[in-house]
This record gives sequence, structure tokens and C-alpha cells, in this order.
Amino acid sequence: MREAFSSALVRLALSDPKVLLLTGDHGYSLFDEFRKRCPNQYINAGIAEQNMVSMAAGLARVGFRPFVYGLAAFIPIRTIEQIKLDIAHDDLPVVLLGDGAGFVYSHLGTSHQSTEDIACTRAIPQMQVLSPADRFEMTAAMEYAYATRGPVYLRMGKADLGDVHAGPISCLQQGRLLKVRDGRADRPGLIATGSMARAAVDLAASWDLMVWSTPFLKPLDEDDVLAAAQATNGLVTLEEHSVLGGLGAAVAEITSERQPTRVIRIGVPDRFSEHCGSYSYLLREHGLDIDTVRKRIGAYCQTLPSGSML
Amino acid sequence: MTPFDPARMRRTVLEMAYAGSTVHIACAFSIIELLTVLYRDHLRYPGNDPRAEGRDYLVLSKGHGVMAQYACMHELGWLDDFHIQNYCKDGTDLKGLSDSRVAGLEVTSGSLGHGFSVGVGIALGLKRKGTDQKVYAIVGDGEINEGPIWEGALVAAHHRLENLMLIVDKNGFQAMGTTDDVLVLGDLQAKFSSFGFETLEVDGHDEIAIDQAVRQLWSVGSNKPKALIARTVKGKGVSFMESINLWHYTRLNPQSFAEAMSELGFPGASQ
Repeated sequence: MREAFSSALVRLALSDPKVLLLTGDHGYSLFDEFRKRCPNQYINAGIAEQNMVSMAAGLARVGFRPFVYGLAAFIPIRTIEQIKLDIAHDDLPVVLLGDGAGFVYSHLGTSHQSTEDIACTRAIPQMQVLSPADRFEMTAAMEYAYATRGPVYLRMGKADLGDVHAGPISCLQQGRLLKVRDGRADRPGLIATGSMARAAVDLAASWDLMVWSTPFLKPLDEDDVLAAAQATNGLVTLEEHSVLGGLGAAVAEITSERQPTRVIRIGVPDRFSEHCGSYSYLLREHGLDIDTVRKRIGAYCQTLPSGSML
Repeated sequence: MTPFDPARMRRTVLEMAYAGSTVHIACAFSIIELLTVLYRDHLRYPGNDPRAEGRDYLVLSKGHGVMAQYACMHELGWLDDFHIQNYCKDGTDLKGLSDSRVAGLEVTSGSLGHGFSVGVGIALGLKRKGTDQKVYAIVGDGEINEGPIWEGALVAAHHRLENLMLIVDKNGFQAMGTTDDVLVLGDLQAKFSSFGFETLEVDGHDEIAIDQAVRQLWSVGSNKPKALIARTVKGKGVSFMESINLWHYTRLNPQSFAEAMSELGFPGASQ
């Protein structure tokens, strides 16, 4: 997935000399290829993220296409006001790349964990928010972010969980869900984003559930969400992000207004990580590991008129 | 009257502030002469178009002084009397702080420490494009409490942005008191010199001196960014506003409006 990111960035930069990569002194080996092939389009702006984001706005104002890279804990979180005022307010074509979102930097603690970035960016007008699930979505998301010519936050989470899709996605359509698995209509449907999409596919197989991956958090196609609600018996959303303001919230906002549906939000509870540990340890701590998620879906299914599936 | 006459520009500011019952009059008055000289003698707007691609950029990072910039835009014919007379009225375009959606204003400011960094990005972009366009960024001395100013200063020097001029409106005041009382700035010229800028200090109300200082900074052969430290008086031009920090916040009433207008040489003003 990281390779898909790097090669998409190199490809875009080679095809358009206005593409610039700005990094806040992060991405040590990630940008080897970019630095080798597009050295003049690479700017290390130093450990100075606030200036970097405003500077990207200035570069976009005079015709450049900045891609601004940092860890999600810093881009967008540290720079949320610069994104709001200097970029989004003027609808500037700047792509913000937040790497290591969720619990990727597990051992480093709260400073490097990022579970509030979707909520913060979603609330900013004119921002589009994407969270690709695998290398195919990543490639398509980078192409989309470049082509859309407006402010985009592209969230990059755990990147080595394997493919969700069988092959390349030709082109992302704004806001649309991607159906990755068909299943039974009398059981809940799963809508997942980013790193949780792979887990959703794994969970769905044993129960024959429908699964959608959504590379978009904003906009989110309302008709697609309603269609998913109508095609299934309740929705379960999965994300490596706070249950407040992320995918689960976005889905519930849509269904509660137009098609009241049970929505089980599986995400990070409203609290910081308590202990140090590995990525999989932190998933367990927050109830995002596959066993806990399976139990929660099972508990929901017990409430369905058709009875237990277990 | 000559365009960009400072007294007339201050009158425009007063008229706007009175019409809109707005604050920040003193913040605008300290930069009247700086803006006068820049707009009259330095800034290039091909076709008098505020959005001309080949323009020089004036970034008002201290958005609190925006009424002074509106006054200049009025002089240039970019704003008409309607804008002045209906300032801050419901449904109008000109806000109490700088907003980049208004042609002629380059950044959205008021939250401080943004505009200069945007200006650094514009200057870097113009340099990469190889144009001779210039970027001026006006910051307040209070504003430079903000960290991104110093991040931007490092980056401007590192990338040798010789097309960028930072202008500090050193009026000695910020919202809650003098800059010395709130957060001592020390020797600003020395600070920016040490960051790798060509620097000069000037009387920010002496038009001839400002013009000479700007020319002198541009004429230096080095590829350093420039910093002009302008000593100014907050509220300059109206005796009862000068260096009285209450005029950061005070609104005009009929009496203070008439007195201020009278001091500027426009007696008998009332609305």
C-alpha cells in the first residue's frame, strides 16, 4: 500500500511539474524514489508543520499542486486551523497526507496516535476526506485527489493488512461505497473504511454478510448508504477512529434522517490508550480486534427477529 | 486631492468604522503611510486588476488593520462608496478582518501568524516560476508572538526568498498592553538579521523614508529575504487615539467621530 502511494506520487509529479511534495521532516525511506526521480519537486519544510501548511496554500495560490505529508497526528491535527483558514476557505487544490493514522505508531503513545482526524476534517467546509483500505484504493484515491482540484485530506492507516479488492479500481466516484462482498439480506451489512475493511471481509465470510468498503468519509453518497441499509438488516460500521465524528457518525447522520436503521458503530471508544503495547495489543485494548468485533456483531444479531446466527 | 493622501485614507477608515460601528481603528491608523507608499509607489497591478496573475502580492498578515487596506482599495477604485458607507452591514462583503475572497485581499487573517507563512509560500512559488514579482507581508509586532512567524522566517531564509519583504508594524501595543509588558520582543532588527534577513528600521509614518528604505532593501544584491522594521504609533493621526490602546476596542460615537474628522481636516462631519 505504501508502495502504491509512493509510485502514485512519483507518477503524478512526473506528469505535472507543478506537483510538489512538502514534508515536515517525515517519510525517511518512503520518499527515496520520489527524491531520486523528482528531486526538484521535493521540499522538506522542516519540523514546522503550521508554516508548511500555510506555505502550501501560498504555493497553490500561484498555481502549484502541493501534496503535504506528515503523520496524521500533525497533518491534519496540529494544523487544523491552517487547513481551515488558508486552504479550505479558498478551496485550494492542496492534498494533505496524514500517515500512520489510528494506532500505527502504537508504542510511541498518544502523541503519535490519531483517532480524531476524520472528525476534525469532516467538519471543515469544502474538505473531502478519504481513507483508502488497500493498495488499489490508494492508487485510485491519489488519482482522485489530484484530479479533484480542491482540498483533500487523505488518511493513511495501517498499510500491510492485505488486499480488500481483487484488482485495480478504474476510477473513484465521489462519495460512492465500493461493494466488496455480497451476502444475506436478513443479516447486518458491514461498512468499513481504511484498515478495518480487511477485518470486515474476514468477519463476513463465516456469516455470509454483505460488505462495503468506503474510501470516502466525506462526501458520503447518501443514496449508497440508504441502499445498503435497505439491502440488509441493520448496519455495522468499522473504523480505526473515534466513534465520535467518523464513519459511524456519518452513516448514522444519513440513516437517522432518511431511513432509520440500527447502526452499530465499531470504532475507538471516547478515550485515550491506557497502556503501551503493539498495534494488535491496542486494537484489543479498544475493542477493535477481530474476536471482540465478532462478539459485538453476534450480540446484535441475537436481537434480530430471525434469532441467533451463532 | 492626490490619491493616497494619508489624511483622506484615515477619513475613509473613520467613515467605515463609524458606519459599521466597528473596532480596530488604531490598528489601521498605524499602517496608513506604509500602505500609502506601497500602493502608490511599489505594488504592480497590471491593468489595475487586483487579481492580475502578474501582480505583486501585499499580504496583510495583521488582518486587524484591514480598514487601511480597504481605504487603499477605495483609492484604486476597487471599492466604491457603497462599500464604505455600508461597512459591516448585513449581507455585505467586507468583513471586520481580512478575507481572501475579497479581490485585493490575499489572505484570510485575524487569526494571527497565518498570512506571513502564506506569503512565504507565494514567494517560493513565484521564485520557482522565475518571475520578478514581489511579495510584501505586513505583520504586527504583537502578531509575531505567534510561532509560525518564526518558522516562516527560517524557511524564507533557507530558500533565499529575495522576493519577499516582511514589514513589521512596530506600534508597541497588542491587545492587552504594550509589547514590552506582554512579551518582550527585544531588538527586532537584530533578531531578523540573525535569521538571515536583510534588515532596515524606518519611521513608519515618514513616506519619503519608507519609500527609500523599501528601495534600498530591494537594491541589496544578496538573495536574502528582507525585513523592514517600521516604528509606528498605534492610532496615528488622531490625538486622542494615539498610543491609547483602548482604541483597539473602542467604537466611534457621534462626538468622537466629529472630533476625529475635524482633527484630520474634515470639520463639520456628521452622519
